[in-house]
Amino acid sequence: MILKIDVYLKKSTESSKLAVFRICFGLMMLYSMIRFWVKGWIETVYIEPKFHFKYYGFEWVQSLGSYTYLLFILCILSAVLITIGLWYRLSILLFFLSFTYVELIEKTTYLNHYYFISILSFLLVFLPANKCFSMDAFFKKKQYKEIPQWSVDAIKFLMVIVYFYAGLTKINSDWLLKALPLKIWLPSKYDIPLIGETLLQQDWVHYAMSWGGMLYDLIIPFLLFYKNTRLFGFAMVVFFHVFTAVLFPIGMFPYIMIVSALIFFEGETHNKIITLLKKIIQPLRSLVEHSSIENINKFNYKRSKWIIWTLGIFFAIQILVPFRYVLYPSELFWAEEGYRFSWRVMLVEKIGYTNFKVVNKTSGHSFYVRNGHFLTDLQIKQMSFQPDMILEYAHYLGNHFKSQGHKNIGIYAESYVSLNGRSNQEFIDPKIDLLLQKESFKHKHWIKPFKDEIKGF
Amino acid sequence: MSKKYILLTLSLIFIISCSSDDSSSSQTNNSVWEQKTNMLSNWVDNFIIPYHDTLLNNLNNLESAAEGFATDMSLNNLELLRNQWLTAYKSWQYVEMFNIGPAEQSFYYQKMNVYPANISKITELIGSGDFTNLNNSPFYSAQGFPALDYLLFGLASDDQSLLSLFSSNDKYFNYMNEVIERMISNTNYVINGWTSYKQDFVNSVENTATSSANKITNDFIFYYEKGFRSNKFGIPIGVFSGGNIFPEKVEGYYNRNVSRTLALEALTAIEEFFTGKGGYSLKGFIDNFATGDNSNLSNQIVDQFNTVRSTVNQLDSSFVTQINEDLSSMNATYDIIQTGTVLLKTDMLSVLQIATDYVDADGD
Repeated sequence: MILKIDVYLKKSTESSKLAVFRICFGLMMLYSMIRFWVKGWIETVYIEPKFHFKYYGFEWVQSLGSYTYLLFILCILSAVLITIGLWYRLSILLFFLSFTYVELIEKTTYLNHYYFISILSFLLVFLPANKCFSMDAFFKKKQYKEIPQWSVDAIKFLMVIVYFYAGLTKINSDWLLKALPLKIWLPSKYDIPLIGETLLQQDWVHYAMSWGGMLYDLIIPFLLFYKNTRLFGFAMVVFFHVFTAVLFPIGMFPYIMIVSALIFFEGETHNKIITLLKKIIQPLRSLVEHSSIENINKFNYKRSKWIIWTLGIFFAIQILVPFRYVLYPSELFWAEEGYRFSWRVMLVEKIGYTNFKVVNKTSGHSFYVRNGHFLTDLQIKQMSFQPDMILEYAHYLGNHFKSQGHKNIGIYAESYVSLNGRSNQEFIDPKIDLLLQKESFKHKHWIKPFKDEIKGF
Repeated sequence: MSKKYILLTLSLIFIISCSSDDSSSSQTNNSVWEQKTNMLSNWVDNFIIPYHDTLLNNLNNLESAAEGFATDMSLNNLELLRNQWLTAYKSWQYVEMFNIGPAEQSFYYQKMNVYPANISKITELIGSGDFTNLNNSPFYSAQGFPALDYLLFGLASDDQSLLSLFSSNDKYFNYMNEVIERMISNTNYVINGWTSYKQDFVNSVENTATSSANKITNDFIFYYEKGFRSNKFGIPIGVFSGGNIFPEKVEGYYNRNVSRTLALEALTAIEEFFTGKGGYSLKGFIDNFATGDNSNLSNQIVDQFNTVRSTVNQLDSSFVTQINEDLSSMNATYDIIQTGTVLLKTDMLSVLQIATDYVDADGD
């Protein structure tokens, strides 16, 4: 067995594969960051709010006010450097740190898509993506034809994990047996040409798309992996992701997945892509003398053992984390304990309405908080159905009112949530003083139990 | 081989033809686009335009009554004036929720019904006689119905003193007249605006954050939660101020006796808008699109409105009296109204699927 692993680790493949991936990644990230900026979301998400929701363990991450723009500039610059492959190791590390820092500032904008970019950029720090067709190769005057097979497989493995878990999480009774939430979402897309008023209104289409989505996610890694089915698989990738992009406001995610799927293709394909790219930038290249680059066959890390072990731990975490929900007794879709970081994408419809009552425990007098005075509309929307945010906000309110002179206060949540079109149910126990509750990994007993059952993952 | 193909084709045809009967939205035989267009047309033709017209009519009558009062400042004419004020105030309850288009753009609602009225600013302007300040936002609370409430009922402690105050100096009547004239011109502005805005409004049917249907639905929910629940009940009973009650923040405070009447009119406005008064509105739309657990949602909401009505009916006709004598009944009423808010902001929003565009999404 160990011999087999050893043999595998010594295999190599075309360096163009990672070069193409690096260029695509850099360009997509460049476009994403600029798009986010242009839409004014830096302002509305990172600068306007008085209060930011933080991730557990990352409360020290400060919001930077107007300096957030500098952080974005840093991110954008590193994306440019990644694309041209200059100072690659430094630029990918910088990108990972700056992008992840931005995400850590505000929890209400958590997207699986952003999480994917964070871990992908982390992974890329350890991969030799600048060994071919990069400014680093140019300046070092060394270019490598081949890189370790495992460095390309690492990306493939990550893609497989994402798709597999996305498919697995769709195996639940709401999704498959009730076609929820697609049954709610699709009919509301009546303004999409051709299919909006017809197919999307039909019951059978809701079921077909639920089952189809689940099967697609589970099967697509196999289709992409094997050469015979790869082209068909890629066509499906394009179709599926473009379709979801038309249907839902999910931003860059579909395009990033389409482009990332290229990693599965043969070295020959990637070499052709590189040749094409070289032709496109020919005018620039002709300015530069490139014949003095030494072509070496194989690139190998000097201390690959450390990297392999790091990646091993990385993937072990990726495999285990989506399952942590089993450690909690609550219904996953309801209490969301263990919901994030597990590729549960567009899986559930949830709408909440949560008000906070501040009670003076001495006098018995109380008042309700006007959430609009403290949170933005997006924050209110997200907070109202996610218990960890409800708790964090309650503590923020507690500190706020204490600093205003209120003494001996308790804060209670009156919260109602509708899950996948069910009638609203009480979400948080209104008799529990949230100021006495602390955030932890333990189960939150003050979340009211879900009055229904959802079977599956 | 060919038999299999025939079987497959037949089953496909069977499935497709069957499914068009299953879909819930085909109950009205109209596409969703058509349904929404009908809803928007209903709202414009049977609610927005006629209610604004009725209001304008009543405001004009109010002005006539004011002119009558000017010529002869008798108690009789004061009563006529007061009655007309109430009639207009009641018809305003049907208009307040439509804070969209020309109304939104001209801050119509803020100029017509921000209460409590700002007495110091009213007094200041009565004294100065310079009314141009009424164009500016700090003086919105010095005009509109609440200002008239003060002038007609609160200017003096009894009717005789009030009449002598008016007779003694022109400035009081001048101010009152100015307020009434502004209410008329503001209303005219909105009505004129709608003649051109109407087409854009009815055409904006797509499911985007700024489309008419979504904006009006948000306006409706906002009115229920803020205009009805908070302004008429929540704020005066101190829901947001812990132990401190504010009976002086009740609607129609100076009149003393109309707060319940106005609240009930507003409730009627809410119910009628929701059910559509025989035309297509939110109730019909929910009935067509709610599934499973929520299929009875529209009736649940109507029932809740009825419960609110019967609870409000048991309150004193003056909320000031009610608050001072038995706050707990007001609190109980507030809770019942709040149950309605929950239905509108969770279940109803889930069925209506109103788009928002804060950032990219990942689900809901």
